Amino acid sequence: MSSPATQIRHRVPRIAQEAVERARLSVVPRTRTRAPKVPFVTLVSLVLVGGIVGLLLFNTSMQQASFAATALEEEATNLAAREQTLQMELDELRNPQRVATQAQQMGMVVPAAPTFLTLGGGAVEGVKTPATPEDRLNLTPPAPVKPEILAPAPTIVEVPAAEVPAPETTAEDEAAAAAAAAAGTTPDATTDARKKNRTRR
Amino acid sequence: MPANRTSNRTASRTTARRGSPQLRLRVGLVLIAMVLSFFGARLVQLQGIDPKSYAAMAAAEGVQTVILPAERGDILDRNGVPLADSIQGKMVIADPVMTADDAPAIAQILSAGLDVDYFRTLRALRGREEGSRYEYVARRVPSTTATDVLAQLSEAGYQGVTTEDDPIRDYPADDVAANVLGFMGTDEPLGGFERTFDQQLAGEDGTARYTVGGGNRVPLGENSVVPARNGEALRTTIDLDLQWFTQRVLAQTLQKYRAQSGVALVMDTRTGELLALADGPTFDANAPLEADKEDLGSRALSEAYEPGSVEKVLTAASLIDAGKVTPRQKFRVPALLHRQDRPIGDWFDHGNIKLTLTGILAKSSNIGTVLAADAFTPQELTTYLRSFGLGSRTDVGVRGESPGILTDGDLMTSQTKDRVAFGQSLSVNAVQMTAAVNTIANGGVRIAPSLVQGSATTDEGVEVGTDHAEATRVVSEQAARQTARMMERVTHEGAGVAPMAAVPGYLTAGKTGTAQRVEDECGCYDGSTTVSFGGFAPADDPRFTVYVAVHAPQVDGGGATIAGPAFSRILGYALGRYGVPPTDGKPSRLPVEW
Repeated sequence: MSSPATQIRHRVPRIAQEAVERARLSVVPRTRTRAPKVPFVTLVSLVLVGGIVGLLLFNTSMQQASFAATALEEEATNLAAREQTLQMELDELRNPQRVATQAQQMGMVVPAAPTFLTLGGGAVEGVKTPATPEDRLNLTPPAPVKPEILAPAPTIVEVPAAEVPAPETTAEDEAAAAAAAAAGTTPDATTDARKKNRTRR
Repeated sequence: MPANRTSNRTASRTTARRGSPQLRLRVGLVLIAMVLSFFGARLVQLQGIDPKSYAAMAAAEGVQTVILPAERGDILDRNGVPLADSIQGKMVIADPVMTADDAPAIAQILSAGLDVDYFRTLRALRGREEGSRYEYVARRVPSTTATDVLAQLSEAGYQGVTTEDDPIRDYPADDVAANVLGFMGTDEPLGGFERTFDQQLAGEDGTARYTVGGGNRVPLGENSVVPARNGEALRTTIDLDLQWFTQRVLAQTLQKYRAQSGVALVMDTRTGELLALADGPTFDANAPLEADKEDLGSRALSEAYEPGSVEKVLTAASLIDAGKVTPRQKFRVPALLHRQDRPIGDWFDHGNIKLTLTGILAKSSNIGTVLAADAFTPQELTTYLRSFGLGSRTDVGVRGESPGILTDGDLMTSQTKDRVAFGQSLSVNAVQMTAAVNTIANGGVRIAPSLVQGSATTDEGVEVGTDHAEATRVVSEQAARQTARMMERVTHEGAGVAPMAAVPGYLTAGKTGTAQRVEDECGCYDGSTTVSFGGFAPADDPRFTVYVAVHAPQVDGGGATIAGPAFSRILGYALGRYGVPPTDGKPSRLPVEW
């Protein structure tokens, strides 16, 4: 109790004791301002829910985009293939062989020599040679050569069975005989044909 | 509190029943240790023994790897029109396990849509072998067709037919330039440019890896793409339409004279570019298997033959360039010229005649040429012929080129030299001969022939193309002009032997050739001939050199009657196509006789 304040208090005459008592300073209790919990919780929940929903939407839209990309890619591939097929058909139509065949069917002939018409004076340069049917180009390849007789009659060779001992027929002989039968030749011609085959080889 | 006491009592009773806590702890510890050791063993198995296979299995779950096929480069003509092009195609594959039951119905749809044989398709759908799960139904189907057919199948409710990428190589003009282009096998190029320039044309396949769920890509899954590198186009010097025309004219000539084979070439005089290189017989590049094997290559390069009298042009130009003779020089040509080993005769019967050098060329006299060439030593002659390009490959980029045969001057006997002077006892390929004749047309400067525009590298590492075409002077400009004037007389009515080779309205220079031909099998002269015609127009300002050679015609005739008309038609068409009008130059009046 030796603090200066108490000494002063003791020295102060006790007038208006009550007022002094009342005026005495005391620690004011801290007012605890409690913020309302509801908005905060709402905000956090909103952020959370919003995040989740956003993530879901984002994911969904990405999936959607992926579906669209797959579909578009497929379409692009199909269209590219279509374009290429059409291009191929166009090139086939441009084939000079086809154009020339059609032109010849219309009676056109490639001239033997060119002539030139000068647009200014109308003069014709070059020798005017008439295009004749002889100038026609033979556009189709030659037809394959067919044998003269398409279905030859079978060759029947009668061999007396008893007298002649059975000859050893080799595979080659049989093949030659078959070839001869097909070609409609006699066995004499067969050997000739075989010889020819050999020389050709 | 009493409740507590009760529970304590209960606890002590249960403790007694379960045994002592220490025992329980030990048992528990052992159990836990056992479980943990199982985990540990499994961990070692997963991570220690073969960790990668499990990782790969995990990664492969749902991940798809797709090969992105590279598109094969086109082969184009000089105007950019495709001679060979690639389009997307599909192979149609059946899984017999899934298709066998409905095979007839599926086969009906497939055979109608894909234009394949019904019964063959049926066999594929039922499986050619027991337990097969992969059968080709069709290969190289245009992508659109395959997709349409598959859509039809799924609409009808059938499963088990799938497609895979299978690019198609198409040759829109079928047989045009086929001998140069080559063709494709099932998976690889088998000949011609397709094979020679495969590295440039093929490109490189790419790959794409991505995670798939329900047929769609998973957005955040694995996604890596190595893009395909498409093949580069190859641009040739060939003119599609001119090539077509040349082939048809050649084919007609071969057919008319029942010849074994032939070639026809058109060269741009100034650049040495080959606008057309026709071989006959040829083949359809879309169906190479239907043709004879020997028709698949290019005879213009692979076949060496004796050129015959066309070569006299080179001898004459060399002699003039060396200052040994002039076009008007006079020669007395006997009926038969006796030389060391055998007499030399002419193709036409004559007594002693008086011909100028021009006349020797115009009438194509062997004896006259030999007499004129007497001014040359064998070395001099071969040096000139080599600089004309004979005896060495032209390297235009076609496989299997024959360099021909030209004996060295040092090894050449005088008899051989006599025969070489008029075009026998040496062999050339048609491109060499075209380039040599073109040298005269181009004012004495030989330009190396080319078939590829720009530059391209062959599979042997040789760079070919117009960028590498070298020009070398062989004879003086004056010598070339004088030779051209002499060649003009060949196609002159009355003076020369080949008026039918002239292009009406144009000054046409040319030379006939009829050579004894070496038969392939016996390696001897068998009496058959090679008839040829080489020349150019307009003679006073040449634009195109055309060379036609026909091997073993079975109808009597020479270079003038067989090759001459074909030459005239091809040259006339080329001049018209490129808009080269006739020149106003005066025709050559060089004397033929004296």
